[in-house]
Amino acid sequence: MSVDPAADPDLVGRMRLGDESALESLYARYGGLVYTLALRIVGDPELAREVVQDTFLRSWDGRETYDARRGRVPWWLMGIARNRAIDLLRSRSHQARMRERTAPLPEIPTTLPRDPVDAVVSRRAVLDALRELSEGQRRAIELAYYGGLTQTEIANELGEPLGTIKSRTREALERLRKVLGPLIQSAGGRTS
Amino acid sequence: MIDSSEHVVDDLAAYALGSLETGEHARVDEHVAGCPSCASRLAEYRGLADALPLALAPISPPSDLWDAIRSEARRRRLRPRMRSAMGTRWFRAAPWIAAAVVATWLVTWNVRLQSELTRYTQGPQVEKLARRPARLVILTGAAGSQASARVFAAVDGQSGHMAITGLARLPAGRVYQLWFLPKAGPPLTAATFTVDADGRAWVVIRVPADLDDTRGLIVTEEAAPGSPAPTGPPLLEARQWR
Repeated sequence: MSVDPAADPDLVGRMRLGDESALESLYARYGGLVYTLALRIVGDPELAREVVQDTFLRSWDGRETYDARRGRVPWWLMGIARNRAIDLLRSRSHQARMRERTAPLPEIPTTLPRDPVDAVVSRRAVLDALRELSEGQRRAIELAYYGGLTQTEIANELGEPLGTIKSRTREALERLRKVLGPLIQSAGGRTS
Repeated sequence: MIDSSEHVVDDLAAYALGSLETGEHARVDEHVAGCPSCASRLAEYRGLADALPLALAPISPPSDLWDAIRSEARRRRLRPRMRSAMGTRWFRAAPWIAAAVVATWLVTWNVRLQSELTRYTQGPQVEKLARRPARLVILTGAAGSQASARVFAAVDGQSGHMAITGLARLPAGRVYQLWFLPKAGPPLTAATFTVDADGRAWVVIRVPADLDDTRGLIVTEEAAPGSPAPTGPPLLEARQWR
């Protein structure tokens, strides 16, 4: 069954009125995506579960509000989840974080799962764009986005000068912008 | 201070990825507020950052996760309705109506609290605590348990109280123990308690650390009268609160 992204804002509106079936629909559509992101960041199924629960409950009880001008509903949910996951990551003891960092981040997948058409097209586009980056650029944005590391921490992690990491990060997003700009704009993303 | 535009441009990407050093946000915010070009670029970078997870191959969440979310959502059902009302224009235009709604909510909350206090009569100390401004922390059952607890930590002191439901009654010589897990340092005990035949309790607690300096609250089962450090797995836990 295909997911109609245009119906998402309506679901969010109904949810804010206390319609539990709208929350259920939103979870059915994007629970997997949010869980995938959370698991990628925190690396632990129990913590990922906590992030997903908190993400949907925050959208339910109004602690996070959706603004249609800032992009699609799934991106909004992923933004909440990413922030919660990074908060969780940063709140854990230094020892635990160090242990986690010794494990390499999973590689970006190169095979496409069966999925609704829209998600497959978006995934293909993002994967293609990421493949155009150099290894160093991709590593820098992965450590920043999924690892929750600051630029200084990334520089320490990779043993590179801070200026190099900053340039690499900017160059990576500039390259992604050139490739993915049309996708972001067509989705009503944050382009203004 | 500041701030060549070129330097800020270098930082926009890190900012969008949430990777900027904590102290540098204000500098970028200040520049972006007066620079439409950088504001536009930052918005584009944020859109790109939001799209990055689309590249991940989906992994199915645990099958019981929806049940847990629905159960908690039902518990919170009243709260979003009130927030929805608070978001309307007329509400913002009439602060006295806001005050009336808040007062009504406080009365309702107090009535509910007093009702619970009646069931768990612990004397005037708990009653006094219940009337003070407090931060609320909700602990949920670990490993799929339906148990839960609410900790009210008074904002003006080092005491509070906790309502617990759904825990199993313990044999003689065993107690439950509430722990604060500081961001630095060992766990700190906050209370020991047992529950009644219905699995409920209402107890006064010590607040041994500021919630802002705490990474978690847990409840474990320990040997009476309590342990100096947790020895069992968490039965209830909270990792986030407002």
